Amino acid sequence: MLKETLLLAKNIRTDGYDGSLEAYRRAGGYTALEKVMKSMTPDQVIEVVKASGLRGRGGAGFPTGMKWGFIPKDRKPTYMVCNADEAEPGTFKDHFLINNDPHLFLEGMILGSYAIGCNHGYIYIRGRSVRPAQRINEAIEYLYKAGLLGKNILGSGFSLDLTVHRGAGAYICGEETALLESLEGKRGQPRVKPPFPATHGYNACPTSVNNVETLACVPFIVKEGAEAFKKIGTPNNYGTRLVGISGHAAKPGIYEVAMGVSMKQIINDLGGGVRGGKKLKAVIPGGSSSNVLRPEEIDIPFDFDSVAKAGSMLGTAALMLFDEDTDIVELAYRTILFYNHESCGQCTPCREGTFWLRNLVRDFRENLGDSQKLERIGRVSQQMFGTSLCALNDAAAGPIKAFVTKYPEEFKKHFI
Amino acid sequence: MPTFYLDDKPVEFQEGQTILQAAMAAGTEIPHYCYHDALSVVATCRQCLVDITDLGNGKGLPKLATSCSTQAAAGMKVSSTNQKVRDGQNIINELLLVNHPLDCPICDQSGECDLQNYAFRYGTGHSEMAYEKRTYGWRDVGTFIMLERNRCIHCSRCERFSMEIEGHHDFGHFLRTHELTFDTYKDHQITHKFQGNLADLCPVGAITEREFRFKKRAWKLERTPSVCPGCSTGCNITVDHNDGKVERLKPRENKDVNQWWMCDEGRLTYRKANDKTLRLTEPLARVKGALVPAAWNALLEAVAGKVKDLSASGDQVVAVADLDSTLEELFLLKNLLAGAFGSGQFFAPHAPESAAPAGARFLETLITPDKTPNAQGAKLLGFQSEAGNKGMEKALGKAKVVFVLGAPEASPALLNAARKAELVVQVAAYRSEWFDMADVILPALTWTEKYGTWANKQRRVQALRQAVNGPGEARDPLRILPDLMRALGQEASFAPAPDVLDRLAKGEKKFAGVSWKVVGQQGFTLA
Ligand SMILES: Cc1cc2nc3c(=O)[nH]c(=O)nc-3n(C[C@H](O)[C@H](O)[C@H](O)COP(=O)(O)O)c2cc1C
Ligand code: SF4
Ligand code: SF4
Ligand code: SF4
Ligand code: FES
Repeated sequence: MLKETLLLAKNIRTDGYDGSLEAYRRAGGYTALEKVMKSMTPDQVIEVVKASGLRGRGGAGFPTGMKWGFIPKDRKPTYMVCNADEAEPGTFKDHFLINNDPHLFLEGMILGSYAIGCNHGYIYIRGRSVRPAQRINEAIEYLYKAGLLGKNILGSGFSLDLTVHRGAGAYICGEETALLESLEGKRGQPRVKPPFPATHGYNACPTSVNNVETLACVPFIVKEGAEAFKKIGTPNNYGTRLVGISGHAAKPGIYEVAMGVSMKQIINDLGGGVRGGKKLKAVIPGGSSSNVLRPEEIDIPFDFDSVAKAGSMLGTAALMLFDEDTDIVELAYRTILFYNHESCGQCTPCREGTFWLRNLVRDFRENLGDSQKLERIGRVSQQMFGTSLCALNDAAAGPIKAFVTKYPEEFKKHFI
Repeated sequence: MPTFYLDDKPVEFQEGQTILQAAMAAGTEIPHYCYHDALSVVATCRQCLVDITDLGNGKGLPKLATSCSTQAAAGMKVSSTNQKVRDGQNIINELLLVNHPLDCPICDQSGECDLQNYAFRYGTGHSEMAYEKRTYGWRDVGTFIMLERNRCIHCSRCERFSMEIEGHHDFGHFLRTHELTFDTYKDHQITHKFQGNLADLCPVGAITEREFRFKKRAWKLERTPSVCPGCSTGCNITVDHNDGKVERLKPRENKDVNQWWMCDEGRLTYRKANDKTLRLTEPLARVKGALVPAAWNALLEAVAGKVKDLSASGDQVVAVADLDSTLEELFLLKNLLAGAFGSGQFFAPHAPESAAPAGARFLETLITPDKTPNAQGAKLLGFQSEAGNKGMEKALGKAKVVFVLGAPEASPALLNAARKAELVVQVAAYRSEWFDMADVILPALTWTEKYGTWANKQRRVQALRQAVNGPGEARDPLRILPDLMRALGQEASFAPAPDVLDRLAKGEKKFAGVSWKVVGQQGFTLA
């Protein structure tokens, strides 16, 4: 029976824990910050994060220490931006942290700001997430009162202000460059790269954008050391993941597991398998942008590399289960509807391709499919893949391609 | 210079140049829409995809890359033609046509449309899209342009022009996904003076010039490089014509003069080039107070006879020239006056110069208040030019014979002074206020019908080239002036503009070094 490995959710799983500053400190919170303020240079913080092998939890899995290392040392100001937008369908892990233990990622954010020389950080969260935004603002207020934010933190000479920025709620504003545009008060749409945010980010200044869960890992790493972190997980995939199980699961919810444990076990032991004793038809392992897996494909280690090897993506570790009654065509349609709706529209393949695919999939939904159309869905999604400015296009094309290749029989049921 | 390899051929590039820029400089076409030399790089149309098989460090890129946003690097290996690239180009092209109306038969852009051209060159030639297309409603967005949004390919050139070049930022994009639309703000009509450039930049028929609407199929047009006559900036242009008619003027790139642009007023000068109502098409002589048609030769002889009868010489002979006369014409006129009469009384009336427009943006300084194309040239050739010049009035008052070249701008006082002369001979293309006092009118070609040069406000000598033929019996002033000289007993014969320019360069110190060849298509700035 697989058990949770508690690293980020340790406090949250403690009875009576309320996520207040007092509770967090009682549980050993902000000792990492104290340690750093007393005895570590910014470079040492970057080094330990690098050594820990921490990879971003926002979707792409890019090494966090390396990202921080890209920030030039001779240019000011620099910015730390926390991506709390959490818009990927199926994903609710960041809000789980924010609502229940906001100080964990905030401490990570303060450490990261110190590491990259940032004196003003931003937390970007969608406007609709009213409670989480309030939660963060309250926590920040307490931090100022406690002298853990503001001028001269803990007498170290390091100063930091944090501002919560509430977006207007577009999925694309979770993409880091669109997020920065939005933060600057412009229309949220991705920028051409290079230049990368590390050199030209917020207001063209060096900027590092980091996911909530990523930052939440940092206090542990700083406090316990890189080796302690590397004891959890598998090589190149260290640490835990907050897995958000949803869909037709018997016990949906957030579960924290060490990376590399069996995905099948996560589903069955933690998620309780499919609800109502039904059979499993499909699993989406990392949010709607990741390719669907058939039940026979899920007996794999749940980490970045293994899920990628299986032809999908760990993404946000949002595991969605679909039982035998699910109509894959309906699932595909809702998926493409979402990406079509959320495409910022600036680049050709995404703007026109999602429109066309949406029309094609809708034909199946209305029982107007045929083999030519099925082939066409495959061709268009295949060809548009990899041709656009940001990853949204591929997040639309990849999963659609996967649905038709892995579940042709489902589409055939909707032939005319 | 460092080198990279494009389709296995070495291509030199400058540090910082993108693959697309270097390829274009080397004469290799990579299809593209959103990229434009004048605008920032957005890399959104995705048509310019290439395959970077080696970044110069032995490693390639797994995905296709946009050549407009990727800098060339020494040793880089790039394919713009392999199957992977072809597939990429095909799908982008196919997707651009998914919602395109394909109304080429009634689209003014047809024949000079990037979408059409690339579809033929890089497309698959058929469409599998069988759904109702996205359509946009009608919008009236500008006084000079038409917007047909259904044809828009969302390249954002129009917006970037408005934001980065023109400055009003009154063109932008709204909504998102396939409903993304480029448009003006609600109810806003663009009224600025540079709207035509939006039509030029738009790679498809989404933005077109009202003036050109439904007039001519683009493939019928012949394009003759020339210079705008609208002001002393002298924007480089092409005169686009067909069947002897000028259909429109389009800017021609010249980094030192007009960059890629021209103003709408300049574009509209083509109307006068086609004008029939004011055009002078036959030689006219005043008989009993009325101008009546005459034969060229007889008229030239009559002029010579009259001049002889008047035994006019020296200051009794005065020339007044229009500032749209070419350098060559002014040079011949000056020679005529000096050679036949020993007169140095040549004028080119000119409105007082107002301050040049200032502004941080290039476009704010493009239009010059001086609406004449060759004021600098006349000045350099020694034509006296200040307006309200009492000297000019006085000289005219004393004149027996006045030669008028073109339709010089003249105050009533000046016209009255000229009226007193015994003989007024005008060489001109159009009727003007001089018409009533001219005794002889010799019909001339206008700027689209002849060769010659003008010197703009930068003292840059730029060439006009004949695009169309003149009407009726109108003749090139470069022929009329020598004919007059010969009738007056001088040795002279027709020489084409390049030859006259050579003589001018020899005879006039300020024009040393100038020749038809150095002027070329981009002009030559005098020392
Ligand atoms: C369309 C799109 C939406 C995204 N949405 C989010 C999001 O909501 N939250 C997030 O942390 N990252 C999101 N990302 C990933 C970010 O671009 C970026 O990689 C991430 O915030 C970096 O943080 P990390 O290195 O800590 O993972 C999104 C990416 C794309 C392409
Ligand atoms: S891929 Fe889609 S969302 Fe991303 S920039 Fe292009 S149009 Fe916008
Ligand atoms: S109107 Fe023309 S220039 Fe503007 S975005 Fe559309 S296609 Fe491009
Ligand atoms: S700025 Fe002057 S020269 Fe240029 S197009 Fe306008 S009128 Fe012609
Ligand atoms: S020209 Fe490169 S993406 Fe448009």
